[in-house]
Amino acid sequence: MVIRRLAAYLKPHRKSLLIAFLLLLCGTMAEVWTPKLVQIFIDDYLTPGNFDSTDLTYLAVGFILLHIAAAGFNYFQLVMFNKIAQWIVQQLRIDVFGKVQHLGLEFFDRTPAGSLVSRITNDTEAVKELFVSVLSTFLQNTVFLVGVFAMMFYLDVKLASYCLLFMPVVLGIMWLYRHFSTKIYHISRQKLSQLNAKLNESISGMNIIQAFRQEQRLRKDFSETNQEHYMANVRNIRLNGLLLRPIMDMMYLLAIVLVLYFFGNLSQHSVVEVGVLYAFINYIERFFQPVIQMMLRLSQMQQALVSAERVFELLDDERMAPTQQGESSPEVRDGWIEFNNVSFSYDGETDVLKNISFTAKPGQTVALVGHTGSGKSSIINLLMRFYPNYRGEISIDGASLSAFTDEELRKKVGLVLQDPFLFVGDVKGNIRLANDEITEEQIYEAAQFVQADSFIQKLPKGYDEPVVERGATFSSGQRQLLSFARTIALNPKVLVLDEATASVDTETEEAIQEALEKMRKGRTTIAIAHRLSTIQDADLILVLHRGEIVERGTHQELLAMQGLYHKMFLLQLGGVAS
Amino acid sequence: MKIFLDLLWYFKHEKRAYSIGIATLLCVAVLEMIPPYVIGVIVDGIKDRTLTSDNLMKWAGAIVGVALVIYCLRYLWRIYLFGASSRLARLLRNRLYEHFTKMSPQFFHQRRTGDLMAHATNDISAIELTAGDGVLTLVDSISLGGIVILTMATTISWKLTLFALLPMPFMAWATSRYGNMLHERFHLAQEAFSTINDKVQENISGVRVVKAFGQEQAEKDDFKRLSDDVVDKNIRVARVDALFDPTILLVVGCSYLLSIGIGARYVVNGEISIGELTQFTILLGHLIWPMLAFGWLFNIVERGRASYDRVDALLNVKATVVNQAGATEAIPSGELRYEIQSFTYPEKETPVLRDLHIALQRGQTLGIVGKTGAGKTTLLKLLLREFDITDGDIKIGGTSIYDTTLSSLRSAVGYVPQDHFLFSATIAENIAFGNPSASQADVEAAAKLACIHDDILHFSEGYQTLVGERGVTLSGGQKQRISIARALLLNPEVLILDDSLSAVDAKTEQAILDALQANRQNKTTLISAHRLSAIEHAEQIIVLEDGSIVEQGRHDHLMEDNGWYATMYQRQQLESLVAEGGVADGDSQTRRVSQATS
Repeated sequence: MVIRRLAAYLKPHRKSLLIAFLLLLCGTMAEVWTPKLVQIFIDDYLTPGNFDSTDLTYLAVGFILLHIAAAGFNYFQLVMFNKIAQWIVQQLRIDVFGKVQHLGLEFFDRTPAGSLVSRITNDTEAVKELFVSVLSTFLQNTVFLVGVFAMMFYLDVKLASYCLLFMPVVLGIMWLYRHFSTKIYHISRQKLSQLNAKLNESISGMNIIQAFRQEQRLRKDFSETNQEHYMANVRNIRLNGLLLRPIMDMMYLLAIVLVLYFFGNLSQHSVVEVGVLYAFINYIERFFQPVIQMMLRLSQMQQALVSAERVFELLDDERMAPTQQGESSPEVRDGWIEFNNVSFSYDGETDVLKNISFTAKPGQTVALVGHTGSGKSSIINLLMRFYPNYRGEISIDGASLSAFTDEELRKKVGLVLQDPFLFVGDVKGNIRLANDEITEEQIYEAAQFVQADSFIQKLPKGYDEPVVERGATFSSGQRQLLSFARTIALNPKVLVLDEATASVDTETEEAIQEALEKMRKGRTTIAIAHRLSTIQDADLILVLHRGEIVERGTHQELLAMQGLYHKMFLLQLGGVAS
Repeated sequence: MKIFLDLLWYFKHEKRAYSIGIATLLCVAVLEMIPPYVIGVIVDGIKDRTLTSDNLMKWAGAIVGVALVIYCLRYLWRIYLFGASSRLARLLRNRLYEHFTKMSPQFFHQRRTGDLMAHATNDISAIELTAGDGVLTLVDSISLGGIVILTMATTISWKLTLFALLPMPFMAWATSRYGNMLHERFHLAQEAFSTINDKVQENISGVRVVKAFGQEQAEKDDFKRLSDDVVDKNIRVARVDALFDPTILLVVGCSYLLSIGIGARYVVNGEISIGELTQFTILLGHLIWPMLAFGWLFNIVERGRASYDRVDALLNVKATVVNQAGATEAIPSGELRYEIQSFTYPEKETPVLRDLHIALQRGQTLGIVGKTGAGKTTLLKLLLREFDITDGDIKIGGTSIYDTTLSSLRSAVGYVPQDHFLFSATIAENIAFGNPSASQADVEAAAKLACIHDDILHFSEGYQTLVGERGVTLSGGQKQRISIARALLLNPEVLILDDSLSAVDAKTEQAILDALQANRQNKTTLISAHRLSAIEHAEQIIVLEDGSIVEQGRHDHLMEDNGWYATMYQRQQLESLVAEGGVADGDSQTRRVSQATS
């Protein structure tokens, strides 16, 4: 199954494969023909003492030309097969990365990022080794072996048939080697990864190990695993010593004995052409190297198949991101948002949202407040259509949320995340993202609008300032302003804000608050607020507790209720006061 | 080649393995000269029709015999040489590990785990390769190459040998050059690979932004661009890698042409026989490997040397925290005194602790509070001697902790760190980490004290449940409580809880604190916390600000002072009220807070 799917990846490269295969055939033919030339030289010229100089020049030139041809064909053939393997794996990699892009957040919630990264990069890399092995090592060496046998049969059918008797023995050794090496290779790799895991863990937890005085014990523990790894290595060395090169070298000598015996016997009652003997010895010499090469790849292949299986598993994952349902494709015109009796659960067991209903009229701001885990983020996640399986109805401008195209939704509903995520690249690219419709002018306008312009201008390279991993060179306030500019550049109808809890310096904080106020103007805004002071002018404040709306109203109304909101407000006042 | 000198100590240490290995290699090299000779003899016999079947049987038997002996010897040298190099890897790995266990936190702060891992994996592999394949290629290229050339020159024709050898140095040069090119390009390919690795990492951690801004297609395009680069770089590697075989083919072809062409002339002259010419060409075939080996040798040695230098440098780093001369083995107990004038982290400018004087009677509890970065954790880590104080002292029972051995000091102190680190082992093993011989009853008792026993029983395999990546995922609170149990199991003289109750709920926190009070009579406890409820009961509470004590005393006393502590305490009361949904009857408290804050 896995093999068939992998083979399907070969299809688009039929032509290249054919060319590479032809190159391989030509190269192999040229290579296996050279001993034949020597044979002709020895039998037709050297032994009878015929030294016709033109003939000999032809032979010598032919010999050199064959070598050059063999070298040339082989070089291009090797490169070409390798290229094909690279292309195939690239396709596989692009496929799996592309697939991951369209998986839903529920998938990401449950899959550790590390293992996902490893699936896309390391496992596909292992598959590459598989293709390189199969295409380069196996195909080539098999063709070469066939070529060698063809020449031997051409020279002497009987002796070649005798030599063919070695094949089952060689195959038997290969089988034996594979049988044992798969296991040993697996153990050795397993021990090595255990060893590395232990080392890694010890380095991270060294202060605990030292505080609990367990250095001795863990040293012993480590050295035990180290010993096990060594033992696996020794078994591997032993196996390679018994069944790999040494045995193939012995087989080579035995084959030589066979050839010598055959010709020696023959010479007792008939004339033997020494050149044929020479050629046979030469072919035998070339026979065993390819076998060793193939054997060396066998155990790796097994491992690569496991990796391929994991990659396909990911390709088959069905937890896709929610997309448009139906054909209506409505537009977001005014930004009238309605939640009607919405309940939601991440795991299908415990509801994190229970019967949530509210309306945000065009241009209004609805603020969500509540303790950690109260369900604020879940409301935003649903509105952004990150999770499909909610109960109840969410609509924008009267149309069901699920009816919108992805493009319309992403363009008209702008999200500003709590942890502003910056991509590696430059400032400009982080505001525009990959949206070519946004002009340079609009980038500057957006930056000015959110007051990010002033700090960007001060950067050594301004808008072209490089952004490193996660935007580490920018302060958290600056990162927020950049992410505001990114949202504003799209000019969305609806704004979804996840206010940052991280504290920033007062100056930036002021800029952020001003920017937020400006951004909200003329847009329907759904905002998670941690600082109640920033949402006092909201048209509607929803106070959430354990997935339910426990209080709702304007700031003044809620204060008058003297309930949860009031307490939160007091708490924050205290926070400001201290 | 200096690396072989650097490794001399090991070669001496493994004298037997290396001498037997090398001697066997030499034997093989000599024995390998026999079959080509036999072939030559038989070819001549066939040509001159002098070969008898007796002779044929004798010679055939000789090759079979040699084949068997060589098989055994080849097996042997592999065991000796590669076995020895594997043992070197084992030895170096153990040494590195042991070295790591002696290093102080500073060492680990200055280096990234990834780099340390790379030294222990890639570098050790490179050294192992040098001690195995490196020795093999050195010995083989010299001995086998030498013997083959010597045989060719002395038994057949030295002139022919010279001609045949003409192209060979080119092969050694080419393989060495290709090797370097390959290494360079491989490095670039690895870099390209790690770039897409970073890209995938970024994409996955930024998945929400990608989705919210509809960047899926753009990300795919970007990924395609980067993976194009990976393909390019890898093809560049393949272009060099593919050079080896054709070059060998060509060079060897030239050698063959020269030896057969010129050799034929000698045959006609009668200088050598046709059998000898055959023998000669076979011997020529035996020269390919030594030449290749010679080319590889330089690459192996070069990399091995760089790796050895890195590992050696790492092993030579001295531990900063060590036992002082004359330190006592006696396990300290008694009154705990901090007398710190100032403490500055190594290689930092500003002190993190200043004028800190605390005296804590045996059996008392010290509560340490203050903002993040005020020095709470530092204060606790000094007691564990993760860093040494330069200006001041800490005494237990009147003896400086610097006059006690590290081991005795640490056996007196139980530590629950802020970042609850658990090992990939069973829960029971994690709790019994400090005392692996503890009984199940002890483990359970500690777990009960830390209020984690019931949680553990809920796991499918109870105490045998695996923790970590391949095991069960624990919540932060569960991890904290397991690490508390881990410290409590030792029943230490001094217990340190470094903000270790932050992830457990208020009720559990109270239960743990009650259990501690009941079980740790006459034992000293140090608790740092953000949530003041965790230290409310302490006999002494200190409020730290920028490394100095700004408030000190019991809870009631501090509340009366109406300073930072009191404000914070009231705020947190309200906070917990909000967390409960504000429905608890905490109105009186609310009023108090509103008075306090307005």
